[in-house]
Formats: sequence, structure tokens, C-alpha cells
Amino acid sequence: MQPAKNVKMYARNLDFYYGDFKALHDVNLDFGENEVTALIGPSGCGKSTFLRCLNRMNDLIPISRVEGAILLDGDDIYAPRVDVVQLRRRVGMVFQKPNPFPKTIFENVAYGLRVNGVRDKQYIAARVEESLQRAALWDEVKDRLHSSALGLSGGQQQRLCIARALAVEPEILLMDEPASALDPIATQKIEELIHILKKNYTIIIVTHSMQQAARVSDITAFFYMGKLIETGETEIMFTRPKNKQTEDYITGRFG
Amino acid sequence: MDNHFQKEIEELRLKVLEMAAYTEKALVQANQAYAERDTDLAQQVIDNDYAINSLECDIDNLSLKLLALAQPVAQDLRIIVGIMRLIVNLERIGDEAVNIAERSLILAHRPPLSYNPTLEELAKVSLEMLRNALTAFKDEDTDAAQRVCDMDARADELDVSVIKKLIDHMLKESPAIERSVHTILISRSLERIADLSTNIAECVIFIVKGVNIKHRCSRI
Ligand SMILES: Nc1ncnc2c1ncn2[C@@H]1O[C@H](COP(=O)(O)OP(=O)(O)OP(=O)(O)O)[C@@H](O)[C@H]1O
Ligand SMILES: [Mg+2]
Repeated sequence: MQPAKNVKMYARNLDFYYGDFKALHDVNLDFGENEVTALIGPSGCGKSTFLRCLNRMNDLIPISRVEGAILLDGDDIYAPRVDVVQLRRRVGMVFQKPNPFPKTIFENVAYGLRVNGVRDKQYIAARVEESLQRAALWDEVKDRLHSSALGLSGGQQQRLCIARALAVEPEILLMDEPASALDPIATQKIEELIHILKKNYTIIIVTHSMQQAARVSDITAFFYMGKLIETGETEIMFTRPKNKQTEDYITGRFG
Repeated sequence: MDNHFQKEIEELRLKVLEMAAYTEKALVQANQAYAERDTDLAQQVIDNDYAINSLECDIDNLSLKLLALAQPVAQDLRIIVGIMRLIVNLERIGDEAVNIAERSLILAHRPPLSYNPTLEELAKVSLEMLRNALTAFKDEDTDAAQRVCDMDARADELDVSVIKKLIDHMLKESPAIERSVHTILISRSLERIADLSTNIAECVIFIVKGVNIKHRCSRI
């Protein structure tokens, strides 16, 4: 089957184990370029596990094991010679809880560039500004770039983390419940941001909010007990899903 | 699992069924008022229309509230949107029943026209379509809904035939013109009721299957 869209990344027959526990079962999922995909499902179904497979964050867990393949622009990211630092530059990640470093706002955004060996001060300053602009935070922090990031509000910290992820110019942005700790205004800003960012990035977002999934995503994928149950256009998934379990979950009849 | 929201939807459905019962009764009575030249009954249909209208408002408000507060999706979304469409049609059927009752009031004070079996047949068909559409809603039965859609052509045919007959009659007997025009308007109302019942059946298909067969938007 040849997909019509331009597939940026895809998972094929992906199994994932934490020791003996099989957390993902034979997951097959395509991510179209410049598309937003929402991963939904009840707590513990494997959304975060799957998301972390996409930039090999799970490598950090010693007992874990991956079977199957994930391809980025046609290349298996689990192939032996893959440079994981380089991979994570291309596949950036934003976590549920904003986790700025205890450094200045500027240094938080510049961090990724410095890790990647960039030295050019002017270039770094330009990238920092651009990233903060893209994350819709620039106007709020431009006068205090050199004060601590920990002095920002939760919503600002989350946008700072997005700016930090954007600074290294990733191609794919993974977001694990990026708005779960934010108020409606900050949430709306993040959602607006996702709309703007998708012009340049492929975005995969985990969310517990059905409304958020419906608002921000093009494609929705429903996971249950480590399996991908149903995936499709968000509009269809939220008006007439095919699968009974999907229907029960999104309408709150689950369990 | 029946959560709080499911109960509110059930309440909404019950209100629709209540409105449906009033509307069906209005049509039965309007037809009877015409056939039996019963002015009291005709007046009753006219007086009772407010109940249908006020139920429409109630259902509309409840639906809006559920849309805003529960932000439903999938079948929950379809049932609420479907109900909002359905009650607009139901309310119009109530209005058409009032139209029939008003014509019947006028006609009851005039000498009767000769018995018109085609009009009686049209009244039967449109009532049957309304009943079937409402049963289809109650049972979420798309086959029954489809049968209502299929009956619509028959109602159109009967209406055309009634009008033709009455025009011929008017040409022959000019004193009967006024009565004939009122009768034609009754026929038109019955034909509209058949159309509106078809719309209700389409709402049922939308609610159950999520496809819009209105104006052949998409075929099932
Ligand atoms: N480090 C770990 N070691 C062992 N098991 C884990 C680990 N992380 C997650 N799991 C298990 O894997 C399964 C999937 O967890 P995961 O965190 O991917 O779920 P999730 O869908 O993201 O849930 P939530 O919505 O609560 O964040 C769960 O049963 C969880 O207990
Ligand atoms: Mg998680």
C-alpha cells in the first residue's frame, strides 16, 4: 500500500519491552510531513513509551528492548551506526512538565546549539531570538533574556522549552502532554503555536484532552494496552470512528 | 457505563419523543378535523401548537448546553446535532398541522366538496411517513428511515394528482373555487409534511451512521 502523503517517519511492527513486560505490540503508524498527529488513549496504554521510541529516549532505560523498525526519511533510526545525539537534534522533544535548566533564559535556548558545537556568538544570538519568536515568547522575555528561566510562569517555561527544542532546528517535534499543567490562555498559546509550527515541522503530540487532540491534530491515533487500535483523520475519528473501543474512549464510556 | 452525560442525553431523547408525540397527535387531529368537519377539534390543534413550540425551545436550549459544557464527540455529537436538526422539522410539521386545521375551519362552514379518495390517501401516506420516521428515531433503525425516504415520491405523486383533480373541478364549477383552493392548500401541507418527515428520517440516518444523505451529499 503506497501512502498518498509524504511520510516523514514511520513505525513498522514495533514491539517494545521493559524487561519482560511488553509495553508496545506490533505498532504500525505513519507520520506525514508537516502533519500534526495526536496520540490518545488511557493512562498506561503506551503513548509516552511510543513517543520516546521515536527519538530513542528509551535507550536510557537499561532493561528496555525494541523490536521492529522506525524509519526517518527512509533510514532506520535503530540501525547500528546511527548517531543518537544527531537523531535527537532532528527529532526534538518537549515534556509534560516544563523543565528549564537553572540557567538564564538565553542560555536555555542556546544550550542545544552549544552542545552541538556551535561557537559563533552572533549566530547563536540570532537563533535564540528566532526560536523565542517562533515559540511566541519573545515579546514577553526580550527585556530579561539574562535573568533566570526559573522566574518564568509555568506557561512561559513551557514555551521556553519549545523554543529550546526549536533552536537546534529539528525536523520533528515530539510533545508529551505539553499543556497539561497550563491554564486555558497558556494552553491556547501552545495550541496556536502548534498550528503555526506545523508549516515547518512534523509534530507528534500526546494528550489526554480529547478537545485538544481534536483542535490541534490532523491525524489521531488511539492506543489501548500497548496496541494501536485505530488511526485516521481527526475529523473522522471524532465524528464517526470505526472502532467501538475508540468510540467508547473518546465519548468517555470507557471501563 | 452510564455517566452523568449519558443521562442528560437520554433526557434529551425523551423530550424529543414527547415533542414527537404532540406533533403526531396534532397531525392526526388535523386530518380528522378536516375529514369530519369538526371545528372544535380544528381549534384544539391550533390552540395546542404552543406546546410543540415550547418543547422545541427547551430541547434547543438543552442541546446547546450539552454542546457547550460536555463538548461531545462521535455518536454523542451526532445525536445532539441530529436532534437539533430533527426538531426544526418537527416544529414545522406542527405548523403544517395548524395550517390544515385552519383550512378545515373555513371549509367546515362551506358546503362539502365531493369525497376525495386521493386526498385521503395522501393524508394516510404522510401520517405513516411521520410515524415511521419517529419510530426510526426511537429505535435508531436506519432501514425504517430509508423506507420513509423511499415513500416521499408517492406523496408527491398523490399531491399532484389531488391538485389536478381540483383544478379540473374549478374549471367546471366556479362556485367551488374558494373551497377548492383551500383544499389544494391542505394537500400542499400534507405533501410538505411528507418532505419534512423525510428530513427527519435523514436525521436518523445521520445520527446512527454519521453520513449525510441530504440532497445526496453522500450515499450510504
Ligand atoms: N521505565 C519503566 N519501566 C517499566 N515499566 C514502565 C516504565 N515506563 C512505563 N512503563 C510501563 O509501560 C506501560 C506504558 O507506560 P507509558 O508511560 O508509555 O503510558 P502512557 O500511555 O504514556 O500513560 P500516561 O497517559 O499515564 O502518561 C505502563 O504499563 C507503564 O507502567
Ligand atoms: Mg505518558
